[in-house]
Amino acid sequence: MTPIDIFFSGIEVLQEYLSAHVLTCLIPAFFIAGAIAVFVSKQSILKYFGSQTKKYISYSIASVSGAILAVCSCTVLPLFTGIYKRGAGIGPATTFLFSGPAINILAIILTARVLGYNIGLARVIGAVGMSILIGLFMAFIFRNDEREKKNNDIFTDQCNETNRSLKISVLFFILLVLILVIGAASSEYIPWIPKLAIIYMITILISIILIFYYSRNEVKQWGFETWDLTKKILPILLIGVFIVGVIGGVAAYLIPGSEPTNAIGVAVAPYLGGNNIFACFFSSVIGAILYMPTLLEVAIVGNLFGYSLGLMSSGPALALLLAGPSISLPNMVVITKVIGVKKALVYICLVIIVATFVGFIYGMTGG
Amino acid sequence: MKIEILGSGCAKCKSVEKLVKNIVEELGIQADIIKVEDLQEIVNRGIIMTPAVFIDGKVKIVGRVPTADELKKLLR
Repeated sequence: MTPIDIFFSGIEVLQEYLSAHVLTCLIPAFFIAGAIAVFVSKQSILKYFGSQTKKYISYSIASVSGAILAVCSCTVLPLFTGIYKRGAGIGPATTFLFSGPAINILAIILTARVLGYNIGLARVIGAVGMSILIGLFMAFIFRNDEREKKNNDIFTDQCNETNRSLKISVLFFILLVLILVIGAASSEYIPWIPKLAIIYMITILISIILIFYYSRNEVKQWGFETWDLTKKILPILLIGVFIVGVIGGVAAYLIPGSEPTNAIGVAVAPYLGGNNIFACFFSSVIGAILYMPTLLEVAIVGNLFGYSLGLMSSGPALALLLAGPSISLPNMVVITKVIGVKKALVYICLVIIVATFVGFIYGMTGG
Repeated sequence: MKIEILGSGCAKCKSVEKLVKNIVEELGIQADIIKVEDLQEIVNRGIIMTPAVFIDGKVKIVGRVPTADELKKLLR
């Protein structure tokens, strides 16, 4: 292993993520995420976070709304702070905080595409279920907690009513998702040429809808939002993926007889290789400590720890995917400021413990 | 006139700031444009989706980037 080999092991992993099968799912996913940010009305959801809403409604909305509200992590923190301080309180707030980063559309699609559909689905279900559990625990532990209750209304935007019918909006999103599904489908099911033809037709349909039912300004905002998300997420993902490859190269240099693609995986296999409770615990602690930019958790599990090569078991992999993105150092600094050190520590411990068990159960049963 | 832009520094908040400045200049209005970036302060005002625009202390826009026409109407 020379420095040049190490560099090339970074390039190799990068190439895997720039290959057609990843890009064909990521590009439509960015467009969908942009459309969600611009066209889906968030006001109707926000009202369920008020302090008057019935608790079971707040919890269920908080556990799934991350898919629509939290496309970018910079929106999660104001929402979290708002729900905690002015709205439904610590329980629904932590539910939202946990599920938000885990169930955004980009993360789900990339997980399913790169790591497999089973673990992608398990991640969604695990994140939603776990978020409610953690929220309920937090609400129970801090049930005597006093909150300022001086002025509990949340301002939402009333205007921006469009005259577009719901049918058109739904059709628009269905077409976007169709592009994603067909584009990502393996060429065993649909050969390349009909696939391109179908996607071309759907694109034309979408253009027709945009021309007749959406204003020029809305389309412009959609483009702006999509580009903005791509700019924010993609470079960091690609740099991160490259670094993952380089770490593999360095590890292969240090561990004799291993390849850059599996060095770390082989090294951690004794700890993360089995579907036992210790492996899950170990892996959720790693997830909580490591800072993972959006989407990079997929590369860390798949390439660095060798899930894609079968070196890491499905249980620890899911535990890391669940604990990882929801806790990061920059996030924790802000969260600690908002809810205090004690609550933040309890939250971290809860995440690690529950992720361990959910990963363990998945590893035992489904994975 | 006092125009406050609430946002923790995301791209959308910056584009609102730019838009407001352009329109204030275009219409030739005397206005103080203030950026509120402190999360606690933003939440204390009841805003949980940024960016938001306050004009003379009243909330006008929450959670989205307004169009130029809309802002012109609000500022007149």
